[in-house]
Amino acid sequence: MRPPNQNHWKSHLFRYEVLLLLVLVVEWLVFWHFGTTVNRRGVTVGFGTVDRQFDILRHSCEIGLLALALTPVILTAGIDLAVGSLLGLCAVIFGQLWHDAGLPVWAAAAGALAAGGLGGALNAGLIARLQLPPLIVTLGTYSLFRGLAEALTRGAVTYTDFPAGFLFLGQERWLGLPVQAWVFAGVAAGIWILVHRTMTGRALRVIGFSPEGARYAGLPVTRQVALAYVLAGFIAGLAALIYTARLGQARADAGTGYELFAITAVVLGGTSIFGGRGSVTGTLLGVAVIAVLKNGLATLPAVIRLNAAEELSGLLTGGLLLGVLALGAAPKFLSAWRSRGQSRRQPALPPP
Amino acid sequence: MVNPTPQPVQPLLVFANIAKNFGAVQALRGVDFELRPGEVHALLGENGAGKSTLIKVATGAHAPDSGHLVLGGRRLDALNPATARALGVACIYQQPALFPDLTVAENLALRLEPAGAWRRVDRRARRVRAAELLQRLGADLAPDAEIRDLSMPEQQLVEIAAAIGAGARIVIMDEPTASLTQREQERLFAIVRTLRAEGVGVIYISHRLEEIFALADRVTVLRDGASVGTHAVGDMDAAGLIRLMVGRELAGLPPPGGTVPGEIALELRGTGCAAAGVGSVTFAVRAGEILGLAGLVGAGRTELARVLFGLTPADEGEILREGRPVRLDSPQAAMAHGLAYVPEDRRRHGVVMELPVAQNITLAAHRRVFRHGWLSAPAENRVAAEFIARLGIKAAGPEAAVATLSGGNQQKVAVARWLATAPRVLILDEPTQGVDIAAKGELHRIIRELAQGGLAVILISSDLPEIIGLCDRIGVMRGGTLREILPGGTAAPVVMAAALGTNEKEGAA
Repeated sequence: MRPPNQNHWKSHLFRYEVLLLLVLVVEWLVFWHFGTTVNRRGVTVGFGTVDRQFDILRHSCEIGLLALALTPVILTAGIDLAVGSLLGLCAVIFGQLWHDAGLPVWAAAAGALAAGGLGGALNAGLIARLQLPPLIVTLGTYSLFRGLAEALTRGAVTYTDFPAGFLFLGQERWLGLPVQAWVFAGVAAGIWILVHRTMTGRALRVIGFSPEGARYAGLPVTRQVALAYVLAGFIAGLAALIYTARLGQARADAGTGYELFAITAVVLGGTSIFGGRGSVTGTLLGVAVIAVLKNGLATLPAVIRLNAAEELSGLLTGGLLLGVLALGAAPKFLSAWRSRGQSRRQPALPPP
Repeated sequence: MVNPTPQPVQPLLVFANIAKNFGAVQALRGVDFELRPGEVHALLGENGAGKSTLIKVATGAHAPDSGHLVLGGRRLDALNPATARALGVACIYQQPALFPDLTVAENLALRLEPAGAWRRVDRRARRVRAAELLQRLGADLAPDAEIRDLSMPEQQLVEIAAAIGAGARIVIMDEPTASLTQREQERLFAIVRTLRAEGVGVIYISHRLEEIFALADRVTVLRDGASVGTHAVGDMDAAGLIRLMVGRELAGLPPPGGTVPGEIALELRGTGCAAAGVGSVTFAVRAGEILGLAGLVGAGRTELARVLFGLTPADEGEILREGRPVRLDSPQAAMAHGLAYVPEDRRRHGVVMELPVAQNITLAAHRRVFRHGWLSAPAENRVAAEFIARLGIKAAGPEAAVATLSGGNQQKVAVARWLATAPRVLILDEPTQGVDIAAKGELHRIIRELAQGGLAVILISSDLPEIIGLCDRIGVMRGGTLREILPGGTAAPVVMAAALGTNEKEGAA
């Protein structure tokens, strides 16, 4: 009953991340091979170009940011369905502050970030303080934030004409890379440190494994859970700015459905939806696998993708998620199945 | 040993030399027991004497490792829950497991009618049957009443009706009166007597000696997982029963004393918490002293520990640390004042099973491994290595998940977590429960050393020899408050009598 493999979950995670990396490499090679063509003028187009790679990077930053924001939340065995709606709300607030209120663009940006933090604080208050279930609370704020965004714009106004200095954030390159990629890298590093190198990260993990155990260990459970949700809101605000800068417009429907992609990326990245287990590296890999799949399919010749890149992308993302999860669970399932005969004869654990 | 009443009746249930181990823990080591039709047979023993395990053998939840049962005239090596039920064994638990939104008749139907998705439901027959069963028990209950509107004893009644309806010949009652008022208790007793008159055998488990004297025909005492005798209740008195229940000694420990206790580390003055069900607790514990807290399950010892650790903060009285009043309204506050609590439920609260040993050890002492909130891996390894060596924790390594450790080593990890915080007052709640003999001895040695090192230790234990052998003074709790403080080394029957409250009532009825 007690296997000698000491490092069980860590080695499991290690293998899982290697598995994801393999999936990513295979994806990449397939698209590189089938998705790259030379056009009539002798120019290489499609997947195998630097521009296309940067495009993928650009398009994956917002969902990537939301996935990073969700990783600490899901580690506590929580969930935040409202990040996509909050992104929309923050984008609208940013547009209004700049356009209607006439604030300088940096002040409007600060306002949008603050709005994100406040939205997160609303979730935090309801979930951490009042102990309401995260799924229901954020389902509520999911509708609430989107509804607010639509009310603020009466569902019609689109804010455009942002200054070039702001659009730089979403459309230009800096030191050879898209500007938002640097922001994303910075946030990724920050979240990685938070999750893997700080007391807060350890506490979030323990809360995910056992909230009662965390309380008995004297950890400030309420505060740490609240922090995760506030941080998620704040990052949603940041994603709103990058989204607005990339498209050059702020609309109430910004980021619709992004939360589902982000959750998929986190779970695909090996973070357990039941809390405790997971890593930021996994989330990054999950984001990359989904982003490459989504964008790569569009570069395939029509014959291969059956003229249906969008639909195929959804299909493959879903299949991939379920497949990788099943593969990840296979060793545990197999060992449980093998030891079933033994454990029936003698339960090894004393009664509680 | 067995009471020589000349009665050639065939017994309903016989346990012959039943033994059961859980890992290295011997829960049962040779139990002989016999239940006759039409008798109420009390099962008596300290906490952890093996009563619950024995019940689980009877209901088929546990298979014994050796020995056999005779049930319904058949010799069996083990039971499963379905056979046990088919052979007429029913168990009434303290907390009835009924559906609160369904009526009495519907709950009975769920137990008694065959399953089947397309079976026709005859509501009238259901009600009639429920009414008949309740009447047979002499119970004044409407079949149409919803369970949520019933009191606890009325719900127990429904459970008993279900058992009788299913043709139970053996009814096991596990501390049925624990949450009943005096009047409710009388009603329950009347029903137990009805069962007896119908020829049902009742196994009755209770800590309350006066109930056993009032109700039972015979009593079997368990001690340390073995039966130490079956007697007709009429032949026994309270003192005799207590002598049978205790009478075990803790080997291999020098008697307490020898160290001179220091200053008062923690003092309680009328401390209590209404929500936790403890009140007016007054005592003081000195540095270097081990204060034991003895009492039955439900006496309020764990609840008191939770109050002291700020999990359910006190709302009454005063708590003083080294003479200064303190407010312990959260675990963080308690920790800041030098308190540490190793909880009773090791697996749920004491350790985080999925986390490695090292992280479990440093979890509460995060200041030692996180500098300004930043993890220092060398510091973590150092602290973990220190306590793994100091407590002799046997693990595949500091990175092994705690779930892979034995119970005793898990407990040492739980203790290490709190020693790493360098506490001044250490509360240990059942530290040796479910731990094998060797690890138990080591834990005793560790506790003794901690006290000698100047720590004030509060030791909650249901293991009387442990309390008596280890503690400088023994506080006895009953009914949510501290009743008296006995000197260390007090004879076990005296401590047990205090925990049971029999010495105040001058023996039994």
